[in-house]
Amino acid sequence: MTHRKSMLTVALASASVALASAAAIAQEKPPVKIGFVTELTGAWSFFGTSCVAGLKVAEKQLNPPGKRKIEFVIADDQTSPAQAVAASRSLDVQDKVLALSGPTSSDTGLAVYGYAEQNKVPFVVPVAAFPQLTKPGTRYTFRLEPDAVGWGYAISKFVEKQKPGGKIAMIYSDYALMRAITAGIKYQGPRSGLKIVADIVFPQGSNDATVQAAQILAAAPDYVVVSGAGGFDNTITNQLLDLGIKPEQIIHPFGITTQVMNWGKRSVGSYYGTFFDSNLDSLTAEGKAFVADFTAQYDRPPSYGENFCYVTANVIREVIDANPEAADDREKFRDAMSALKTKEKTSGVPIEFDKNGARMEYMYFMQMTDVAAKTYKAKQAFYIEWDPEVIPVYTLIK
Amino acid sequence: MSDVNLIILLSTISTGLILGSIFALVAVGVTIVYGSIWMPNAANGQFFVLAALLGWTMTVSWGIHPAIAALLVIGISVPLSYALEYVLVRRFYDVPNRNISYFVLSLGITQILTGIFSFTYGRWSDQFQLPPLVGGITFVGPLPVANNRLVVLALALAILASLFALLRYHRYGRAIRAVFQNRDAAALRGVNVKASYSLSFALGNAVIFAGGILFALAYSFDLTVAWTMSITAFAIMIIGGPGSVLGALIVGMVFGFTQAAVSTVASPTIAAFSYLGAMLLILLFKPSGLFAR
Amino acid sequence: MTTVAETKDPSPRSIGHGLPLACFAAVAFATPFLLSGNRYLAFVAGVTMIHILWASGMNLLYGYTGLMPLMFAGLAGISAYMVVGLTAAGWSFWLALPVGALAASIAGTILGLPSLRLKGFYFTLCSLVIQTVVTLAFVYFSGLTNGDTGISQIPLPSFAGTPLSGLAYDLVLAASAVIGVVILMVIVQSTLGRRLIAIREDDELAGMLGINVTGYKMIAFFIGSLFAGIGGALYAPYIGFISPRSFDVLISMNIWLMVAFGGRGTIWGPVIGAVLLAPLSFLLQEYYTVKDVLYGLLIIVVIVAMPGGIAGGFKRKRREAAAPVDVAASRRSVK
Repeated sequence: MTHRKSMLTVALASASVALASAAAIAQEKPPVKIGFVTELTGAWSFFGTSCVAGLKVAEKQLNPPGKRKIEFVIADDQTSPAQAVAASRSLDVQDKVLALSGPTSSDTGLAVYGYAEQNKVPFVVPVAAFPQLTKPGTRYTFRLEPDAVGWGYAISKFVEKQKPGGKIAMIYSDYALMRAITAGIKYQGPRSGLKIVADIVFPQGSNDATVQAAQILAAAPDYVVVSGAGGFDNTITNQLLDLGIKPEQIIHPFGITTQVMNWGKRSVGSYYGTFFDSNLDSLTAEGKAFVADFTAQYDRPPSYGENFCYVTANVIREVIDANPEAADDREKFRDAMSALKTKEKTSGVPIEFDKNGARMEYMYFMQMTDVAAKTYKAKQAFYIEWDPEVIPVYTLIK
Repeated sequence: MSDVNLIILLSTISTGLILGSIFALVAVGVTIVYGSIWMPNAANGQFFVLAALLGWTMTVSWGIHPAIAALLVIGISVPLSYALEYVLVRRFYDVPNRNISYFVLSLGITQILTGIFSFTYGRWSDQFQLPPLVGGITFVGPLPVANNRLVVLALALAILASLFALLRYHRYGRAIRAVFQNRDAAALRGVNVKASYSLSFALGNAVIFAGGILFALAYSFDLTVAWTMSITAFAIMIIGGPGSVLGALIVGMVFGFTQAAVSTVASPTIAAFSYLGAMLLILLFKPSGLFAR
Repeated sequence: MTTVAETKDPSPRSIGHGLPLACFAAVAFATPFLLSGNRYLAFVAGVTMIHILWASGMNLLYGYTGLMPLMFAGLAGISAYMVVGLTAAGWSFWLALPVGALAASIAGTILGLPSLRLKGFYFTLCSLVIQTVVTLAFVYFSGLTNGDTGISQIPLPSFAGTPLSGLAYDLVLAASAVIGVVILMVIVQSTLGRRLIAIREDDELAGMLGINVTGYKMIAFFIGSLFAGIGGALYAPYIGFISPRSFDVLISMNIWLMVAFGGRGTIWGPVIGAVLLAPLSFLLQEYYTVKDVLYGLLIIVVIVAMPGGIAGGFKRKRREAAAPVDVAASRRSVK
């Protein structure tokens, strides 16, 4: 009896030792820190806060027990490039993060890019579209969002499909992002047999577009590409509609939930480009769960900004799970990112980076079909994938 | 003239009128304050945006009718002005050359308000849009104009006209103008100078708030409007002649039209450069402005 | 460390300044070594050095000549863009630096011309417009400046073929701050400095006394802008990134605040101001939103309660409760 009892005790004891040591292994390694420099205040904060919201949803199931913990250290860059560099430096030196991520605006993105490449810190860009973030020679930067000059390519292809030989008008604010998109249209448009009949740029801080809307009307375009910065986007859109441009003629190069809601009911029928939408037919089960989760928490459906940040967290998880040694070694993490071949868990779109860290690119064009109090409906009108260097994106805009 | 060209012409005129009247309102507000207490208020753009933001919260978050919200916003400006006047502004009334102290002070206020806006309202900065006062569209010739904007235009012109009447004919207005012209003489004639100072400060700010809320009713806006408005209001005041209400009114309207016209024939960027250029030239060659008192 | 020895040379007459200067130089050159274990704190210290240089230049214009140029950051930007452009075109940084700084000086002298006609508030407003135009121009001429995207990956300069280490560049920054302060001291004690102060007090009177007001104001602008330009040129490779917003009106205001808060028209006040205020935006990282509000409050405090700044408060008890900040305030500091 005593014998058997002691056997049992030994067995129990050894089992608990084994359990404890398994837990100890999981515990003894410190969490993997990822620095997340983003726009919590300043001009671009609506994008940065959306991104962090997507990240928070991802974080809920990011660290199941038994896996090495991944921790995001969030820092505000005030939508200021100088502050973004300072925050990157602090995360790199003080917090000793494995990699940087987070910027949603092109200028803060470029500022962090410069720091990351110079100091050999891997940098995963969720939502910043400026092509130079993956210019030839880039080694440590990986961008999830397709580049903005490429969007111009996609828009031209979309219009070519809708109306061969069509006439395009462009009206936009003077920001880096808009300049990149329109550079793509100016390059690809004529090659797709399209005619650009108006090209109107507003300086930053403009507030009225009535006269320019009338000029657009006078140019009699088939499609108008509209992209104002901040609140001015609504002003341009409404003034075009006021003057009798039909919603079906309007293409917004990009649309996130709040923008679509702002354009409102009178814009139903107009098109917008995106990289993820709660109305996509191709949502995976996880994608649907993400939309439901996010909507329950934030009272509005997520769009591509939230999705890219959600996906960023998952991509990092995947890379570290597949290459445990990459969790403590920046070079190995970089190599693992570079070799990654996977799919977005939410929509099934492939993720694969070229030698410069640019992604195999894609874009959806959605048509708005309804806007309600807290949500909207849209249907997919066009989908296109392309190689990041299908047009010379790195020379078209510096 | 073909229909499209007529539309361009008419839209230039309508934009000139609406923008011009709002510019004129803000510039008149700035000028009233400068003309009386010598305070060049660089924070005018922040006050302007504060009014617009309060209007947005009241209408969109609390569901108040925009007309009532507009009145409330203008009402709120009065106690705010008196508080600011009591705490800060009145300390400098007897200081010679106080305009530069005031200028720097208002830059400080600008920075504080910028900081506060960025952490309170920043994350919604793409969605500031107020519900319209009235719906529907009116055709002016071939040009469709939203009724809402016509109402905004009418209100702006009405406020400008009543301000003008107030300053010209009412005894408060006459007192303010007397202090504009000569503080000591006004005091000798029995005008209560300090009281007229507080009054003009509150009046000027109320007018700026009115400009802000009217702008928000006519256009979508965001936080960057503040700085553009500050510089524009200063440009108008300098060109019109610091302290000259008539100058602010005329130059404000002219500004609206030039901005619309220049951006038609050249580009919106050239338009922005051109008014800054005009301001520099006036500063250099006729610092007293075109309509010097 | 030869610079320290040199720094003592030009000021034998002023034993009063010798000791603080020696202390300042010692601290400035020791800091990079002390903080070399932590690149982040060393970086904050380096940025502070650049601000000391800028504050000294602003002090020459605002503290000693009585002009408040809010286009100061724009001038630094002109030099920074120029140096970055030239080095990208293959120039050596050490050759591009003087060229860029000179460009800023010339631009500053030309843009300072309105000060000959405009006084006090009018000149300040004019400089604010100039700053706005310069910022717009940085955005608009995107062929030269990359517009608001900015220029990233600006390399640290190299010396004799090898890129400077972080520590070496920190020492360059420390040297520039020390030299900047020394130059300001020398100017203030020279005839030039006394004439500038005379102009600050009353330029009409100074003119009647035979001082060439136009010439001296232009000299002040030339030298002050040189400080801005050298600071800008050193700033670009240190941060590794520049954009129009790196040199906008807020930066001008911040530099002005360092001078006014520290104590305008004193050598050490602005240095103290820069040391206290420049690291703030980094150290407040966690409380980022407070920064603008805090700076704004400080501006108001300076204007309302301490027109002499910190150094002014040390020097003597204030006689008036609220002296004006322009001409009249400084009358006390002159015999």
